[in-house]
Amino acid sequence: MPAEFRIPIERFTLSNGLRVILSPDHSTPVATVYLIYGVGARVEERGRTGFAHLFEHMMFQGSKNAPKGTHFKLIEANGGALNGSTHPDFTDYFEVLPSNKLAVALWLEADRMRGLQVNRANLENQRQTVKQERRLAFDNRPYAVAIVERWPQLAFRNWHNSHSIIGSFEDLDGATVADVRRFFQTYYAPNNAVLAVAGDLRPEETRRLVEAYFGDIPAQALPSPPNLTEPPQKAPRTGVHRDPLAQVPAVIVGYPGPTRRTPNYYALVMLDIVLTGGESSRFHQRLVKGRQSVIQYEANLGWPFAGPADYKDPGRYAVFLLHKPAFRSEQIVKQVEEEIRAVARAGLRRRELARARAFLRSNRVRQLQSSRTRAAALGQYELLDGNPDYVNTELDLFLAATPDEIQQAAREWLAPERRSVLEIVPGKKQEGR
Amino acid sequence: MSRSRPPRTPELELYKLPAVFETTLASGLEVVLVEDRRLPLVTARLGFQAGSKFDPEGLAGLSESTSALLTEGTRTRTARRLAEEVAAIGGTLKAESSPDALILSASTLADCLPKMLELMADVARNAVFPPREVALRKQNRRQELLAQRSQAEFLAAEKFVEVVFAPHPYCRQDPTLESIERLSRAGVVAFRERQLAPNNAALILLGALPLRRQTLELVRARFADWTRRRVPLPPAPHFPRPKRSITLVNRPGSVQADIRIGRLAVTRAHADYFPLLAANSILGGSTSSRLFMNIREKKGFAYDAHSAVVPLRDSGVASVITQVRNDVLRPAIEGVLAEMRRLGQRRVGSKELAATKNYLNGVFVIRLETPDGLASQLAGLKLMGLPLSYLRRYGDRVRAVEPERLQAAAAKYFDPEVATIVVVGDREKLLPQLEKFGSVKVEEAR
Repeated sequence: MPAEFRIPIERFTLSNGLRVILSPDHSTPVATVYLIYGVGARVEERGRTGFAHLFEHMMFQGSKNAPKGTHFKLIEANGGALNGSTHPDFTDYFEVLPSNKLAVALWLEADRMRGLQVNRANLENQRQTVKQERRLAFDNRPYAVAIVERWPQLAFRNWHNSHSIIGSFEDLDGATVADVRRFFQTYYAPNNAVLAVAGDLRPEETRRLVEAYFGDIPAQALPSPPNLTEPPQKAPRTGVHRDPLAQVPAVIVGYPGPTRRTPNYYALVMLDIVLTGGESSRFHQRLVKGRQSVIQYEANLGWPFAGPADYKDPGRYAVFLLHKPAFRSEQIVKQVEEEIRAVARAGLRRRELARARAFLRSNRVRQLQSSRTRAAALGQYELLDGNPDYVNTELDLFLAATPDEIQQAAREWLAPERRSVLEIVPGKKQEGR
Repeated sequence: MSRSRPPRTPELELYKLPAVFETTLASGLEVVLVEDRRLPLVTARLGFQAGSKFDPEGLAGLSESTSALLTEGTRTRTARRLAEEVAAIGGTLKAESSPDALILSASTLADCLPKMLELMADVARNAVFPPREVALRKQNRRQELLAQRSQAEFLAAEKFVEVVFAPHPYCRQDPTLESIERLSRAGVVAFRERQLAPNNAALILLGALPLRRQTLELVRARFADWTRRRVPLPPAPHFPRPKRSITLVNRPGSVQADIRIGRLAVTRAHADYFPLLAANSILGGSTSSRLFMNIREKKGFAYDAHSAVVPLRDSGVASVITQVRNDVLRPAIEGVLAEMRRLGQRRVGSKELAATKNYLNGVFVIRLETPDGLASQLAGLKLMGLPLSYLRRYGDRVRAVEPERLQAAAAKYFDPEVATIVVVGDREKLLPQLEKFGSVKVEEAR
């Protein structure tokens, strides 16, 4: 299938260490500014869970030349949309705008990288907003607490990996203005960030703007990252979560994942497509259709916070399955393992692998349709791999995974002794473990 | 170049619609072709006037189930074979239903266009709805509905459309446990026979297409012999007069209150639509809107506080949506009603108006950036009965909104006196606060 397309990449680094990637595409008059900082929830300290995310909110509370409210107003009055999000290993911000307004977003991002206006009033206000976000997105929603808080506790032993990314009310209450200032000073430095601009842009002009706005923001000495190492898992783990809001039972099955960009990483992603990708996949055909036990499922390397593109080890390959109440969770786990074992024993059918490859190939093109998704991929690959060109080259690395390697991934990486299972039981009472 | 002041930029450019070719086949099928070479992809929509408003009484969810079952087997392909053939071309094929329409969406790498059209036509024309698949659909939809009903926002949306639209069929956009029980293969087949006709449909093809003549030949090969049929008229567009009512859906244990406040509005063809769109944008359409700034950034009541205008083919809705912690329900509703009232009473300033127009025109262009975005818009217009020139004229229509018209639209469609209030949450904690606004009808979350 001659479906290749190349994303242009122009790459340079400012003297303060800010890495910059430009990717012009003039097909529509839209451009995206994407700024990713190499700091996420995994660096949080005990007693400060949820801080990276609370801090992300503070990035919209005003900077030297753009007081509170200005960021939203300026972007939107110029026809743009914006947001930010916090992840385990990074925090990112984007603005999508009509392309002749691009300079406004660059100016705003530079102004807040230079310095924030933090005071007790706006910290207090965002503390309330984040607590309300927690109620909305977690405490009032079935499965969310199990997925976001219980699952990492079961899957990881290292506190940096297992603690809550949204944070407890108690820890949020403990956050001070001094914490915010210190966090900013430590992590929000140009040498800890990547700026990716994609879409309808003129490279020379954009480069000039970037140098003018960002060029003299001082670099900072970066602390050494926390030790994220996990002890090897030698025996299966199980846990039960009673969810008073859920009405339908669910189960999470997961396994420690390989190191990013190793052959096992590519093989496991291909295996995931064979098992769970689309309606021709084994899980859909055999569990949803054949056994009629599973209602819906989702799976990913890095689930629930990441996918293959932004996965960083230590992480997990995990599957979340909503199943019929007539089946017990042990039965569902057994069925999942049977599917894995079938690949481990007998490998893949030739046409099945061809389908998985076609699925991957076209999905990639679809996923890179917009300037925003292109900018995000370029920024993430620079930050996580030091090489944005993976956006063009990684497809071949996935396609190169051999049937033997994929079979071996099923046998070794998804072996039963490496399994963790969290059973989610609908129920009024918060009891059990 | 100053660093202390935001840069000056040129005026926003309005959307330029790419060249669009439209034709109608002898069968009545409308065809829209858009050449777009930037990606090696073809994106397609085949939309029918067959949304949930056509569900017969007592069979809510029939359109939705028909759409789900279309891809579960045809006269010559089992569900499994269909899935495998779609995957083999790196494709997607999925049908979904909305209040007005049933839309089959597909995409593929460009060189597999003929196969994609073959599969689309097979599904649209020859689905057989195997009894086993219908039975599985019933079981799974029942569980999915239970899962949906455990979510407060689902309950709020469901109750809100019920109060705003009843007795028009727009009042029920999701199935019930009872209607799922009544779902039958015969019902699905009958729905397909009634609604999925070429003269009730539009086909959009967008992407790296072959020459137009060749593309049309491919389309004709799959769709030309599809027989025109008589199709039912949509339900009469009779809607209730908006009036204030307050409903509390009791969901014990909720840690927040899900709030919807709003009323019936207008279609995209109505003269009030663009003034209302601008009014909505100022009230709660963005993160610099009045609701976001006041309810969230100033008061800290909510994470999400926004308003929305949802146009349907025969009507529409304007509403405010927010979720707040239990103890601030009353001041939050007061705050929302005050903002609604202020917009109808006081003329907006020229700066705020200019900013909102830019915002609307900018995000409009951004929404059309991707092939998927443009294909969905084109299908939406066709199914709403609007000309495709709507996309070209959108920007000028936004710019033409005058502050008086905006204020009048706000005074009418965001009038607190006739707005319906729906709240989902814990009765014990919310009812006393809610009663300050009038008499409250309390219902249990089913």
